[in-house]
Amino acid sequence: MLNNDTQLEALWLQRLQQNDEQALAAIMRKYYTALYNYGTRFTNDEALVKDCIQEVFISLWQRRESAAEILSPRYYLLRAVKNKVLKSLHQHTIRINAMESESAYDFYHEFSVEKLIIDKQMSEEQATTLRKTMTKLSKRQHELIYLKFYQHLDHAQIAGLMNLNRQSVYNLLHETIQKLRSLWQAELYN
Amino acid sequence: MKDFRLYDISDFVIDEDFIRWVHEQREEDNLFWNTWLQQHPDKHLVVATARRVVESIQFPQSNINEAQVEQEVSRLMNTITTQQMRQEPEKGKVAGFKWWYAAAALLLCVTGTWYFYTRDTSVPPYAYASMVAAKQLIEHTNTSQNPLILRLPDGSQVTLAAKSRISYAHTFGSADTARNGASRDVYLLGEAFFEVTKNPHRPFRVFANEIVTKVLGTSFNVRSFEKDTTIQVTVRTGKVSVYAQANTQASAKMSEIILTPNQQLVFERTRQKFQKVLLNNPIMIVSPAIERTMIYDDAPIDKVFGDLSKVYGINIVFDSDLLKKCTVTADLSNEPFYQKLSLICSAIDAHYELIDGQVVIESTGCK
Repeated sequence: MLNNDTQLEALWLQRLQQNDEQALAAIMRKYYTALYNYGTRFTNDEALVKDCIQEVFISLWQRRESAAEILSPRYYLLRAVKNKVLKSLHQHTIRINAMESESAYDFYHEFSVEKLIIDKQMSEEQATTLRKTMTKLSKRQHELIYLKFYQHLDHAQIAGLMNLNRQSVYNLLHETIQKLRSLWQAELYN
Repeated sequence: MKDFRLYDISDFVIDEDFIRWVHEQREEDNLFWNTWLQQHPDKHLVVATARRVVESIQFPQSNINEAQVEQEVSRLMNTITTQQMRQEPEKGKVAGFKWWYAAAALLLCVTGTWYFYTRDTSVPPYAYASMVAAKQLIEHTNTSQNPLILRLPDGSQVTLAAKSRISYAHTFGSADTARNGASRDVYLLGEAFFEVTKNPHRPFRVFANEIVTKVLGTSFNVRSFEKDTTIQVTVRTGKVSVYAQANTQASAKMSEIILTPNQQLVFERTRQKFQKVLLNNPIMIVSPAIERTMIYDDAPIDKVFGDLSKVYGINIVFDSDLLKKCTVTADLSNEPFYQKLSLICSAIDAHYELIDGQVVIESTGCK
């Protein structure tokens, strides 16, 4: 299945290179929800996110000749959308290096524990503990977890997107997982 | 292959395959993990904990629906079409080229119209209209902007591109034994991707203008719009044979041509010329797990080329006697096809050429 997806993507990129607008449309359809979801982590301005996504696809079309060089469309698009959104957010304010410091940009993200409670996989009490654990995580950790578990990127791609080296991605991820894991381990070993 | 026995809770939690199992609950994953747990009963607790951790990481659903996405897609399509019309030529040379291009387009329109008015008498016998006429056919036309997925009576799947038409006979998928040996024929105007169910007794044939593509079971793409100057057949998996329809000018010049994965046949309709080429970005025809084994330490060259050929289904021609002493030490487990090929060639000081849809290696041998 995964293999089929990659094959289909390769086919789309190739057709894009051959000036096929439908291939561009197909790529947009496939990734729109993921890109929109990611874009709205940085701002509440939904119209701005939509405009940014449009611009990203227009420039993909303008550079279609080199489309075959894109190895992972998901990674390429997420990265482009993030850069575009952050750039337009900071356009009228102070010019800062958005990537450098922890507080340079916000990452709004709330873990939804409601579904777990409804599915009876978790008690109210456990949910409260989980929420508390989550609020202790930094914005970077939230973004990391989001990219890993929602967007299914690999470590190298996460590193590229967050301007970290691979080792820091791994360390940060491990630290986060440790926190979550102690929560469940206590319950299961008792 | 990963050794999950060595995995700790945290290793499971961040493992892609493990996450996929927890998130998607696919049947093949269920099977794998249940069997694995039976073999390693001491791992139950570790896996259960890891599962809870992955399950506890849930994300709020995006509040955008399909209709909104479609709206954004048409907005994009509008922008790129108007942009193309507005694009001004920048330099003299380019401008000259573009004018020529415009003239050619105009000429095509004119011939198109002419065909329309004189259709009754002058449609070539291989054109869609005449192939379809007088046969009792079921026709599907895709008037939408999106690819249309169709399932044929025999179980084959067709992804019909926008503005394309396809037809086939009522008797197409009939299990009638009297029809055994009869081919499964479809007529195409436009572009479609075919995933054909295997049936060695009933060849599957696609008629597209001058060209016929015949297969036994495979997936491939045919692009043949009436106004296009070329017809393109691209093979993804399996093998197809392509030949010209009888009584066309092309049939005299072209006998049956076999296409294998990652090869494309381009037929130039005006010059009646055809060419077999490799795709710019060949895709693997085997599972990516096999690609990951392509790490070599002093490996003989025929093993390396053999693997490369197997992974992409592309024929590589080389003189194994001459290259007998050549060995390769390289990690080729994560590179695109042409990158792999260049790395191997630079390791053994050789060159490659693409001839007739295959790779030909030129070298003077190794010491």
